[in-house]
Amino acid sequence: MRHTLIAAAVALAWVGPAMAQNAELDQIRRDIEDLRGSYEARIKALEDKLKDAEASAAKAQVSAAQAEASAAKAETAASRTDTPAPQAAAPTASQSAFNPAISLILNGTWGRFGNDPTTRITGFAPSGGEVSPGRGASIGESELFLSSSIDPYFRGSLLVALTPDNAVSVEEAYAETTALGQGFTIKAGRFFSGLGYLNAVHAHAWDFVDASLVQRAFLGANYGDDGVQVRWVAPLPVLLQFGAEVGRGREFPGAGGVVRNQNGPESRAFFVKLGGDIGPSSSYQVGASHLQQRSGQNGVAFLDYDDLSGVNNRFSGRQRINGVDMVYKWAPDGNPTYRNFKFAAEWYQRQYDGDFTFDTAGLAATDALAARQSGWYAQAIYQFMPYWRVGGRYDQLSHGTVALNANAARLAPPAFNPKRYSLMVDWNPSEFSRIRLQYSRDLTRQNIATGETIGDNQLFLQYIFSLGAHGAHQF
Amino acid sequence: MKTPIDVLMATLLVFVTTLAHAALDVFTCSPEWGSLVTELAGPRASIFVATTALQDVHRIQARPSLIAHARTADLVVCTGADLEVGWMPMVRNQAGNERIQAGKPGFLEVASIVPRIEVPASVDRALGDVHPMGNPHIQFGPKQIRLAAGELARRLIRIDPAGEVEYQTRLADFTRRWDAATQRWAREGAPLQGVAVIQHHKNFSYLFEFLGLRQVNSLEPKPGVEPTSAHLRELVENQKSDPVRLIIRASYQSPDASEWLAQHLSVPALMLPATVGGSEGATNLFTLFDDCIHRMLSALK
Repeated sequence: MRHTLIAAAVALAWVGPAMAQNAELDQIRRDIEDLRGSYEARIKALEDKLKDAEASAAKAQVSAAQAEASAAKAETAASRTDTPAPQAAAPTASQSAFNPAISLILNGTWGRFGNDPTTRITGFAPSGGEVSPGRGASIGESELFLSSSIDPYFRGSLLVALTPDNAVSVEEAYAETTALGQGFTIKAGRFFSGLGYLNAVHAHAWDFVDASLVQRAFLGANYGDDGVQVRWVAPLPVLLQFGAEVGRGREFPGAGGVVRNQNGPESRAFFVKLGGDIGPSSSYQVGASHLQQRSGQNGVAFLDYDDLSGVNNRFSGRQRINGVDMVYKWAPDGNPTYRNFKFAAEWYQRQYDGDFTFDTAGLAATDALAARQSGWYAQAIYQFMPYWRVGGRYDQLSHGTVALNANAARLAPPAFNPKRYSLMVDWNPSEFSRIRLQYSRDLTRQNIATGETIGDNQLFLQYIFSLGAHGAHQF
Repeated sequence: MKTPIDVLMATLLVFVTTLAHAALDVFTCSPEWGSLVTELAGPRASIFVATTALQDVHRIQARPSLIAHARTADLVVCTGADLEVGWMPMVRNQAGNERIQAGKPGFLEVASIVPRIEVPASVDRALGDVHPMGNPHIQFGPKQIRLAAGELARRLIRIDPAGEVEYQTRLADFTRRWDAATQRWAREGAPLQGVAVIQHHKNFSYLFEFLGLRQVNSLEPKPGVEPTSAHLRELVENQKSDPVRLIIRASYQSPDASEWLAQHLSVPALMLPATVGGSEGATNLFTLFDDCIHRMLSALK
């Protein structure tokens, strides 16, 4: 519209009188000169701007790259929305985006025992909670693990075990800090204690079907408590970690589950770990730990030595467990895909210090008990080709010294050191499945009357499958 | 006259000054990100690389040394897309370092900011070790590296604002050299266009896409599953209908399967560096591409 008007005006000017034409031409020339001048000024300004722009070229490039990055983000976001049904952002999908990572472990065994597997280790009664497969086919504990960030400050985890006898037990339920920094992490709730090496490892990640004798006898396979754990990692190029735990003493190893009615903490644990690499192919971790517990005023039903007398005993006092552990791993060039090797060993010593009441139902004789016993295991696992691993383990317990004083006459624990040899081979067609065959020569029982060791051949066939989220395992 | 106190004070002073000038502590999950950080931060960063080109990044363990280095890191640079899912979450949970938690500028998963290929339409573990977010071996995508550099520079500036000018200058320089190199690789790699290849695992899909190679199959029957003899025989059968000219494996993979197949198909088996450090020539991101392209070209001659 405006262009038409201008065109009309120009046409009118040209058809105007010739006299006026010259004057008007001068006027136009002057206008053009003015225009040229102002354009030159504007061009100069633009040139200056260009110079500025060139000076900050690097800056511009950064923001360009950033723009590209966000464009890529947008692109991926766009492509996500392009993809069909499942990813399409329906309101339900955005809700489920916050669901915790879920993984489920299915575990089953076929066991063959010569003797009754429920018989206790002579002189050492395993406490409650141990995972010990029975005779014939049975499912082990199925584990359901849920884990997620809670907010920018905490993350939470729940591990529920569904036991073969249709019970549900909360193995771990804790929240952990993520924002403390300075190497500190605080964990609160129910959790497996950080002491030792295998204690915090769940049954599905063990290298053998069952826990070592020393873990069964002293720690109930996985010692856990309700309480608080503080960990600190030192700012060093090698791992130096310190941990401390206080708890209610829910489990009293040697006595199983304990009902507490007390305000203060009844158990304390401390551990330190040191670890690093030896070249690109090997890495190691060594540790030391200490656990101390009080039985409480009323004492705990004492399972140890029970088997010998068949009566109910009670212990009131303090228990202390000290341990050292080490693990070494090797893989050629640090690539475990084809071949790798792992060695682990732990040693624990347990001390009782308190009063022992013999036969609470009958004689009820109480006197001081001081006991010092120990045990250890060493195991080696070798993956000799993809998917296939073989392993061997030796474990044993030492009866040590048990001073029962006045009760010694009624109850003398035998001087017997239980031990066991185990061999296993497993096939791992993927990271999510494992099928294992294990043979154990078990020498953990003694015929009290004759003093002879009762040997047993034990054979296990086991499967472990993990479904759902890909778990990250500890070293 | 120097008293012990003087010596102590001097030592302390040196220690404190060292701390004050301590380089940015960067933890990288694999060597390609170590190389990229070197390009963009130079001497401003002290870099720890968690893995080597002889290791499968998917199968690393949460080793004590990794936890120790994550503890002091100002910035963690990883691939993401679930490549490090088996160990990095454990390392970060154990380290007690708030700077490298999710959502912090000190935690960068490169795959989350670059376009990815081979994103599966549906995922099921029956399909093998599939990555729901797509192929995570993004170090072989020139476009992906360029984008990663931009984001990495942005993170470096956020964490270490004092070095802004240096990061910007280095980024501009890197981008210029990278763009020139990308053009050169496209030119040099032109003879590779349309060449049919089999790769062991999908390590080089981004490179093949960039250069236009045709990926016919993998030695792995399913992602993450080692080659089986049945699958290899199937590949020999397929050769008649759809012949390939190269069989490619990464530096951390066993040569057995690719060499067996190479013999049966009478085509060359070729090892390519999985990342920086995987071959003598692959000393940084630039020479990684150079080395891969030259190895393929000379194998075809």
